[in-house]
Amino acid sequence: MKKQFQILVINPGSTSTKIGVFKNETETFNHSISHSVRELDAFSKMTDQYGYRSEIIQKTLLENGFALDSFDAVVGRGGLLKPIPGGTYHINQKMLDDLTEAKRGEHASNLGAMIANSLGNIANAPSFIVDPVVVDEMEPEARISGMPEIERRSIFHALNQRAVARKACQEIGKGYEDANLIVAHLGGGISIGCHSKGRVIDVNNAFNGDGPFSPERAGGLPTGQLAELCFSGKYTLPNIKSKLVGKGGLVAYLGSNNSLEIQKRIEKGDEEASLVYRAMGYQISKEIGACAAVLKGQVDAIIVSGGLSNDDMLMQQIRNHVRWISQIFIYPGEKEMEALADGALRILKGEEEVKIY
Amino acid sequence: MHQILVINPGSTSTKIALFQNDKELWQESCSYSSEQLSGFSKSIDQFELRWKDIQKIIEVKKLNVKHLSSIVGRGGPFKPLKSGTYLINKHILEDVKKGRVQADHISNIGVLLAHQIASEANLPAYFVDPVSVDEFDDIARISGLPELERKSLLHALNIKATAYYISQKLGKKLANLNLVIAHLGGGISICAMRKGQIIDVNNANEGGPFSPERSGYLPVSSLVKLCYSGKYEYPELKRKLVGKGGLTAHLGTNDSREVEKRIESGDQQARAIYEAMAYQIAKEIGAMATVLKGQIDRIAITGGLARSQILMDWIQDRIAFLAQVEIIPGENEMDALAAGALRVLTGEEKALSYQ
Repeated sequence: MKKQFQILVINPGSTSTKIGVFKNETETFNHSISHSVRELDAFSKMTDQYGYRSEIIQKTLLENGFALDSFDAVVGRGGLLKPIPGGTYHINQKMLDDLTEAKRGEHASNLGAMIANSLGNIANAPSFIVDPVVVDEMEPEARISGMPEIERRSIFHALNQRAVARKACQEIGKGYEDANLIVAHLGGGISIGCHSKGRVIDVNNAFNGDGPFSPERAGGLPTGQLAELCFSGKYTLPNIKSKLVGKGGLVAYLGSNNSLEIQKRIEKGDEEASLVYRAMGYQISKEIGACAAVLKGQVDAIIVSGGLSNDDMLMQQIRNHVRWISQIFIYPGEKEMEALADGALRILKGEEEVKIY
Repeated sequence: MHQILVINPGSTSTKIALFQNDKELWQESCSYSSEQLSGFSKSIDQFELRWKDIQKIIEVKKLNVKHLSSIVGRGGPFKPLKSGTYLINKHILEDVKKGRVQADHISNIGVLLAHQIASEANLPAYFVDPVSVDEFDDIARISGLPELERKSLLHALNIKATAYYISQKLGKKLANLNLVIAHLGGGISICAMRKGQIIDVNNANEGGPFSPERSGYLPVSSLVKLCYSGKYEYPELKRKLVGKGGLTAHLGTNDSREVEKRIESGDQQARAIYEAMAYQIAKEIGAMATVLKGQIDRIAITGGLARSQILMDWIQDRIAFLAQVEIIPGENEMDALAAGALRVLTGEEKALSYQ
């Protein structure tokens, strides 16, 4: 009988922690633990929450009949680390130090490695993170912008992009390391990556503002007009920042980041909603076309994923614009928990070598 | 046979040429030093100076204005307009005089100068495909912020001339062609042309690939940080975007021949930057290809940078899969202006009326 590995998956969000138990690829248990704002407010720094969250997770596992020492590995979502190549990483002291210092920003995902490490120690099992948002495999030509003081950076939905890329590779019967793929992650933020033979050689930076606008983010903007806005004296820096991330894109035009609600408005004949929503699909298509040029037209598949890919209307529009480039796979939703478990499983099975931070 | 006088006021010179049909008979130019022009705060104030020098040339050339068929002047950043050849009428003259234009630029007075000559001889005067040609689909106007509309401003004159050239070469009407046209000069415009209409273009001042003098698209959060850093006044930051961006910022020169010399002598930095520019140009062409849903008859690359073999090789390597590529180096504004007037004079096209 093949060995069954039991893996604990930890995915911390701002006000909740999702946990999952996997037997190899199969999820046998999942639970989302909510944290009240009052409890979290007691900690001055986000990273101080890890002990508190770890304890609740232990309790939840015990209540549901899982002993910590039954796990072969604990895997947490990766955070804002230094730029690194993609893959599954051992959690080490250097990583924990960087996360504690939060040099590259505070984010709930920074807790993933800390919690996984502490639970891994108790369980006497290895702990990992997989494909954090800071995965950076960009080619030199992709890093250069038109202004020397501004470098193009790779920050994107690496975890889900890689997971759906591997899934498509299984369907087309090609190894991920042999394939050229364009992967579009369409969520609250949008990232579109050029995967060339296992490496993401270019991707729009969904966090720092380029590429298509998204439900909540402004994406790339006319630079001269943006500078004019900044110098107009009408806005503070935080004002402008929130326009770019959080209150940009669909929210700015339509007051909603909810695509279901917007679709309903379109069905009722709201022409502005229709135009803006189609403009988002138009920009997504253009970004996919830009990636096709990066890959010199040799594209094995285009993969569309994330919450917005549930929307048939949007998918049909994108299909119309880009289907001549390659075959299209649509994987709605986001499979972070599975992607984390799979990343750990590849190491346990010896299919991939673990990386050192 | 049609005799056409072409007037093209540029930032440091005025070019004047006489055409017989599509053939240039002569071309003259009067240049101005920056000291000569420094006293003028608005372009329109240079009218008298430029007009006097044009009169001198007409005299020296013994040109009998009454024998001309028409005069054509270069257009400027007027209000958004459909592509084509426009009759210069009182509305456009009023708008230019009153500053009802998108920007102050010396090309705006092209219509005033052309009209001045034409009115004396009672001739029709035209302007052709100004930078404010706007045939966008509405979908292309939307950016990620309602305050910042995507605007159509482009090297329309050369882009349209290139499109006509391809249509003649293929023996097909523009209305039956889908083209992606890249104008690569000091600024870069890459457009999707669907059945003759320019339905999308990166705005060379606001985005797209970086160019010899402009920074193109930038990661917006980084740009905003720079704006609020306190290090720059607004005019200085603007110059970093347009004028002192791109190759100039990275390599201290906007001269592609100079950059290529450095590359040949082994300068790795120059090579990396030049290649990145080619990379961004290829990406923009790929993006425009999706606007046309992949149905592209030709990709055309034109403008001064199209003379660069190494740049053309890098670009073609990435985009050859899209469609056949035509490389048409250089730009000739005088030819393009004369051709625009000629299309109307021969009845091939109807002059549009500026409202």
